[in-house]
Amino acid sequence: MAGSAAVLEDSSLLSRLDRALLPIERFCALLSGLAIFSLMFLAAYSVVGRKFFGSPLLGYVDYIEAAMPIIAIMGVSYVQRDGTHIRMDMLVGALHGRVLWLFELISVLLILVLIVALAWGAWEHFDRSFDCSRPLCSRDSSIDIGLPTWPSKLVVPVAFGVLVLRLIVQAVGYGRALILGLDNPVAVPLTLTVAEQAQAEASQLAGHE
Amino acid sequence: MMEPIDIGLWTSGGLLVMVLLGMRVAFAAGMAGFVGLVWLRWNGFDYDPARFGKALEVSVRIAGLTPHSKVSAQVLSLIPVFILIGYMAYYARLTTALFEAAKRWIAWVPGGLAVSTVFATAGFAAVSGASVATAAVFARIAIPEMLKIGYNKQFAAGVVAAGGTLASLIPPSAILVIYAIIVEQDVGKLLLAGFIPGAFSAVVYAVLIIGIAVVFKTVGPPVKGFTWGQRFAALPPALPIVAVVVIIIFFVYNPFGEAWGTPTEGGAIGAFIVFLMALYRGMRWSELKSALLDTAKLTVMIFTIIWGVLIYVRFLGFAELPAAFADWITSLTLSPMLILVCILLAYAVLGMFMDAIGMLLLTLPVVYPAVMALNGGETVAAADSAFGMSGTMCAIWFGILVVKMAEFCLITPPIGLNCFVVAGVRDDLSVQDVFRGVMPFFIADAVTIALLVAFPGIVLYLPSLVG
Amino acid sequence: SATEWNVSVWGKRRAFTEHIEKIAELVSEKTGGEFTMNVSYGGLSKNRENLDGISIGAFEMAQFCAGYHPDKNRLITVLELPFLGVENLDQEVAVSHAIYGHPAVQEEMAQWNAKLLMTSPMPQYNIVGTGEPRDELAEFEGMRVRATGGLGEAFTAVGAVPTSVTATEAYQAMESGVVDTVAFAQHAHLSFGTINQADWWTANLNPGTVNCPVVVNIDAYESLSDEERAALDGSVDEAITHYLANYGELLKKWDAILDEKGVTKVVISDEELAAFRTQAADPIRDAWIAEIEAQGLPGQELFDLLTTTLAQAKGTN
Ligand code: NA
Ligand code: NA
Repeated sequence: MAGSAAVLEDSSLLSRLDRALLPIERFCALLSGLAIFSLMFLAAYSVVGRKFFGSPLLGYVDYIEAAMPIIAIMGVSYVQRDGTHIRMDMLVGALHGRVLWLFELISVLLILVLIVALAWGAWEHFDRSFDCSRPLCSRDSSIDIGLPTWPSKLVVPVAFGVLVLRLIVQAVGYGRALILGLDNPVAVPLTLTVAEQAQAEASQLAGHE
Repeated sequence: MMEPIDIGLWTSGGLLVMVLLGMRVAFAAGMAGFVGLVWLRWNGFDYDPARFGKALEVSVRIAGLTPHSKVSAQVLSLIPVFILIGYMAYYARLTTALFEAAKRWIAWVPGGLAVSTVFATAGFAAVSGASVATAAVFARIAIPEMLKIGYNKQFAAGVVAAGGTLASLIPPSAILVIYAIIVEQDVGKLLLAGFIPGAFSAVVYAVLIIGIAVVFKTVGPPVKGFTWGQRFAALPPALPIVAVVVIIIFFVYNPFGEAWGTPTEGGAIGAFIVFLMALYRGMRWSELKSALLDTAKLTVMIFTIIWGVLIYVRFLGFAELPAAFADWITSLTLSPMLILVCILLAYAVLGMFMDAIGMLLLTLPVVYPAVMALNGGETVAAADSAFGMSGTMCAIWFGILVVKMAEFCLITPPIGLNCFVVAGVRDDLSVQDVFRGVMPFFIADAVTIALLVAFPGIVLYLPSLVG
Repeated sequence: SATEWNVSVWGKRRAFTEHIEKIAELVSEKTGGEFTMNVSYGGLSKNRENLDGISIGAFEMAQFCAGYHPDKNRLITVLELPFLGVENLDQEVAVSHAIYGHPAVQEEMAQWNAKLLMTSPMPQYNIVGTGEPRDELAEFEGMRVRATGGLGEAFTAVGAVPTSVTATEAYQAMESGVVDTVAFAQHAHLSFGTINQADWWTANLNPGTVNCPVVVNIDAYESLSDEERAALDGSVDEAITHYLANYGELLKKWDAILDEKGVTKVVISDEELAAFRTQAADPIRDAWIAEIEAQGLPGQELFDLLTTTLAQAKGTN
């Protein structure tokens, strides 16, 4: 389950970079939320159109498929920022100090390698569908209404680009903590025990009441 | 040169190590898949150093197109919609309304408030796609009322933690949709299949509570004295739930004629109704915005695991591992039922340490084909099969069993998330208290699972109506 | 050393994939097991990404349909235009392979590093429907039909509403009234179960079909030994013959299946068909040619090639 953690802040350059990235990430996540919201209206519109006016929405499936990358991937960096992506923290939960930062650093560097590779591959996937010598720059189109697919393919390298920046900030954050032997480093999600996570989640819900 | 299957096994071992060392599951799976693709291809080039670049390039392209390709599917749009319903239902105050109605109608039985809690969580499950959220919400509403009339606090906490797990069987359920997508089965039939086992689990919980309350008179006194007028007055605020349930059912299966549409549409219309309800109950833009951000966060978290794991699955496809595992399982001389029980027990152990969605996504690509092969193949007829059901029905039955296992793991130590959440909400409860209180429900769940295994009809009755 | 090709198709093994299974068998036989093909049903790629997979060298051979992504393969969509007048699978093979042989078509596919090997001939996409049979043009007004690409456009032209549902959702969509009718080839009506919902089937509407080529990765093709390449090229005709014989058996059973399920065979009059063609076929064809020509491609030439090949094919059988 989502177990978001605290990210400490101070006046250092690293922390300022962390906070500069945050509004961009939150904007991306809000785009994802709004896309979900529109999905609801789109489906309602389609059903009502069909049931009561005999005119279903042409290209309904194509629109949904085009929106899915925004919904599913756009917020990936926002979720990485506070460590909401799930993991098994039996081991890291028991570690502390430099050993912990070493494990976290290795983990983040591996993710960085993966995401750089995926961003490259995702960009090429976009590039194969994009050719501005053609109408609408489209070299690949959807099945029912011939919607160009390149805008939705472009979402992926963009989201991964933001995530690469986030991972660099976190790698520096953990590296700094490892070298300086810090207890509470800034700009990285701090490991909480499962119980502390649950507490945080519960108080988040409480805030809504 | 190595055999592709060996590369598959080594890479899967590497994945396990990365997960154990605390790497985020989604990225660990993506990494294992990506490294596996490079390794497999370079192996095909006999490890010629000059061709490593080529192996890398092709693998980057295969892995890089997977996130877009895999998430661009209409059926996946159900997941965010189901998550959104849950958040909106909270703002629409449906939880309080449900608990109040359940209390006035059924709290007169022994263990009355605990039984009411179970049925209220079952009702909320019908508008919530996620278990942990359900447990957190009811910990605030139901536990104080139970403590007020002298319930044992461990028992009260256990009831809520266990009741929360119902949300993933009773539709809408994000996890059932995920199962349907991994195994490429009809989402509508799976959602439908969850209804009876979900309600059945609730009944087993209720029977257990009543039994305990009868034997130990101090556990849960009945609550009497509500007039019929009071009872009926409590119904209208909870009505939207009924509307949502009816709509989702009728979009999948209409007993009186043509179904109304597809499950995707049913989910969206349900969310729309709850949205109107929340607006009426005073939800404003700032609340909507935070509901949307919360929905987006959970959605992205789930989808990242989905595409991450699917990169790994793509690699497994090239390494032909699932087919090899299925061959191995079917070559065992044990009885198919014994093998199935062993698989379920393995899930119980794994689930003690892992998150439900991560667990299903990681294991199903290999385990599911094996179970299908065990039954006699995807297209087997009921008469020729090992479990006495057709391939499609076996897929549904196994799906419900696995999801019930995953839910069971939400209340087992050491990482039973529902228990942590309940303890987190209540300052006066420790995690140990909740684990102790939830223990009777292990028995209830074990009984439920055994009955679902022994009588598949409980699962398959509704889907078989759809044909 | 031994050559092993990965082949990406989708769904389950069925009439539509029999020529691929056959060609895998033939090349292995002819090369004494030196050149083998490993046919994967969905394990290597999603069907709409098969051409991308060929382009990046993920696998060596794949099947896809032109209508999945018209902008990737503008020229072969000529074969999906409505009411071309193709009457049987032999004619479908003849026109497809003639179009595949055109240099402009080969050039466009080469941009995806793909070489067209053979077609997967599909019969006409006649519709099954629920309720009263629709055998007059006027009755197509407001009909919700599951049809894609050029076929969808044709139905739009006569006032029907093409509704997008995936093939796997077609049964559910029909049952739930999301659509009244579904256009498929016979084997798909059987495998997706739409026949079980049907009250009627149009026997002679013959509105058009989809075109699904099998392609190979050019680099992989060129790095085959001469013997292997000869084995592959030399097996195409035999694989297609096997496919046609197999599909022929299925079509023979079709009438019996209609009887068994109590599905009415609807025959539409020649006048109604002619009216449909004027309203739908001609404008869509003209628009297609204009659009392709506007992009500097030989749209008219391809269409003429198609008509002359079809005339020849009709003359010889
Ligand atoms: Na639910
Ligand atoms: Na657990």
